[in-house]
Amino acid sequence: MGPEMSQFLSGMKKTMEQVVMPNLTDRFAQEQAGIVAATLGFLEQIHDKVFHYELLENHLYKNLLGEVVALLDGATPPQHEVAVTLVALRTQLATGNSDAHLRPYHFVRGANETMKEHLCTLIRNQPELPAPLRESFDALLRPFFRELEVRERAWVKPLGFDAKADELPDIDELLYRDGKLRLPGAL
Amino acid sequence: MTVHTPTQRLRATPTADWIAAIRARFPVESHLDEVLTRKLENRAHPAEHRTDFDNLAERLGTYLRRVTGQPDLELARLARLSGGASKEQFTFDLTWRQDDGTRATRKLILRMDPSESIVETHRLREAQLLRAMWGEVPVPEVLWVDATPASLGHPFLIAGFLEGTVQPEGGKKASGLGMYFEPRLRDGLKDQFVRHLARIHTVDWRNRDLSSYDRPEPGTVQGNAWSLGVWERVWHEDTLEAHPILEYAADWLKRNMPVVEHPVVVHGDYRSGNFMYTDDLRINAVLDWELAHIGDHHEDLSYTASEILGCPDDSGTLLVSGLLPRAEFLARYRDYSGLPVDEGKLFYFDVLNAYKMAVIAVATSLRTAHGRRTHLDAMMNLLSGFGYISISVLQRLLDDAPSAARRDLRKQFG
Repeated sequence: MGPEMSQFLSGMKKTMEQVVMPNLTDRFAQEQAGIVAATLGFLEQIHDKVFHYELLENHLYKNLLGEVVALLDGATPPQHEVAVTLVALRTQLATGNSDAHLRPYHFVRGANETMKEHLCTLIRNQPELPAPLRESFDALLRPFFRELEVRERAWVKPLGFDAKADELPDIDELLYRDGKLRLPGAL
Repeated sequence: MTVHTPTQRLRATPTADWIAAIRARFPVESHLDEVLTRKLENRAHPAEHRTDFDNLAERLGTYLRRVTGQPDLELARLARLSGGASKEQFTFDLTWRQDDGTRATRKLILRMDPSESIVETHRLREAQLLRAMWGEVPVPEVLWVDATPASLGHPFLIAGFLEGTVQPEGGKKASGLGMYFEPRLRDGLKDQFVRHLARIHTVDWRNRDLSSYDRPEPGTVQGNAWSLGVWERVWHEDTLEAHPILEYAADWLKRNMPVVEHPVVVHGDYRSGNFMYTDDLRINAVLDWELAHIGDHHEDLSYTASEILGCPDDSGTLLVSGLLPRAEFLARYRDYSGLPVDEGKLFYFDVLNAYKMAVIAVATSLRTAHGRRTHLDAMMNLLSGFGYISISVLQRLLDDAPSAARRDLRKQFG
C-alpha cells in the first residue's frame, strides 16, 4: 500500500514551506502556516512509533502496578479508596492484556489510561499510608518517574523546544534494542 | 480523542455534580472560581471557536457608542494582531470626544477571550490590576472593560496601544520564551527589568480598588494554597490523560507549603516577551497581567529566574530572561525591594512554577486544541513539547534537589 505515511507528510510539509508560506502576506497566517509545517515535520518523525510507544508504556505500567499491588495489599480497610483501587487493579492485571500487541491501538491507549488513573489515585492517598509503606511505595515510584520523564522528553524532542536536546536519547534508542521493541523483563 | 474512562468522560462533558465536586475539592479565589466554572459549563455545550470576525467592527462600534454616549465616534482600521497565545487581540483607531471636550484619534488594543483559553482569567481582574499599577510601573491605560460575553460574544478589555519592541531582532524562540538580547540591550534593560518587579511587589495594594481579588491573611499559607489550588483544579479539569508525576508533585506541594509573611501583588508571568521597550531602551510597558494575584513575592522571583525561561549569553552563562545572571538578579531585587530572598522558598516555588507550566502546556493547551476552542489550535498542540519539558524539570526538582534544600524546608516550615 502506498504511498507510505512519511511520503504523504513530507509532501505536505514541502508544499506548505515552498509554495504556501512564501505567498502568504498576512503575518498571522504566515506564523500559523509555519506551525503547521513544524507539526508535519514532527509527525513525519514519530508516526511509525506511536503504537510501540503505547505498548512499552503498557508493559511498564503493568510491571510497576503489579509490584504496588503486592506492596499495598491489606494496607487499608476494604472500603478505603486505596483498597478499592487495588481490587480494580488486581482484576485488570489478572484479565489483562498479555496479547496487547495484537489489540487495536485504542484498546492499548485505554488500558494505559486506566492504569495511570489508578496509580494517581494511590499517589493521592499515600499520605494516609503507614510511613514504612509510604517509603517503599516511594522507592518504587522514583525509578519509574525517572524513566518516564526521559521517555516523554525524548518523544517531544523533535518539536525543537528543548535546549538540552543534545543530552537526550532519541526515542528510537529508548524503544528498540537489537532491532526489537524493548520490553524490560519480558521473554 | 477517544474517551476511555469515566473520568475522561466527565472532563469532556462535565455534569453539574462533577463541577460541584471539583469546586469543593480545590478552593480558589472567588472570581477565578467564576471563570473556571463558566469554562466547564460551556464545555458541556461544545462549539468550535469561530475565527470569523466579520461583524466585530459593528458590534464594537455599538458598544463604544453606548459606553461613551457619543453616537458620532468613528472606529477605523480594525486589524487582528499575530501572536498572543491566550487572547484574541485586535488594534483599531478610535476618534472620539475626550474629557476636555476636544476630539482626538487614538490607536487602541482590544483583548478578547477565545471560547476556551490556554489560561482562563478574568478581564475585570486584569483591568483592576492595570489601573492599580498605573503610575507605579509602565502599563497600558485601560479605557473600558466588559467581563461578560454580552457585547462582543466574549469578555474583553480595551486599552491604549503602545508602540515598542517586545522581541529583539533575531531573538525569537518559541512563544517568546528564552529570548536572546544582545549585550547593548541587556545593559540598557536589565536594571529597569528588576526595578519594575521590585516596585510591583512593594505597591501598597490594600489601598487600591482590587475588589475582584481575594486577600490572603498575612502569616498564613492561604495565598499559596490558592495559588496551588488554581493549578491543581485546572489540571483536573483540563488534562486529557492522568499523569503520576503531576499527582506526586501536587502532594509534595501541599506537604511543603510555606507561609506567606507579607502578601504582595504577584505578576504571575514576569519575563522577556511580556515587557516592551522603546528605541532608546526604556521599558514602556509591562504586559500580560492576567495571572496576577496576591501572594508570595518568591513566586515571581522563582518563575522569572527559571532556567526554562532564561537564555545563555555567549559564554554559556544562563541569564534570567536573557538579561542578567541569577545571582545579580536576586541581589539587585533585594536592594530595590527591601524584601527578603529565601532560597528554601525559592525552591518550593521552583516546584510550583514547573507544575504550573506543565498544567498550562500539557493539560489546558491540549484540551483547548482538542475541543477546537481557540484561534491557535495548531500551536496549542505543539506547545505540549514545552509541557513535557516542564514535567521533566518538575521530576528532576523533586528527585535531584539537594537534600539540604529539603531539610531546610522541613526545618523552616515543619
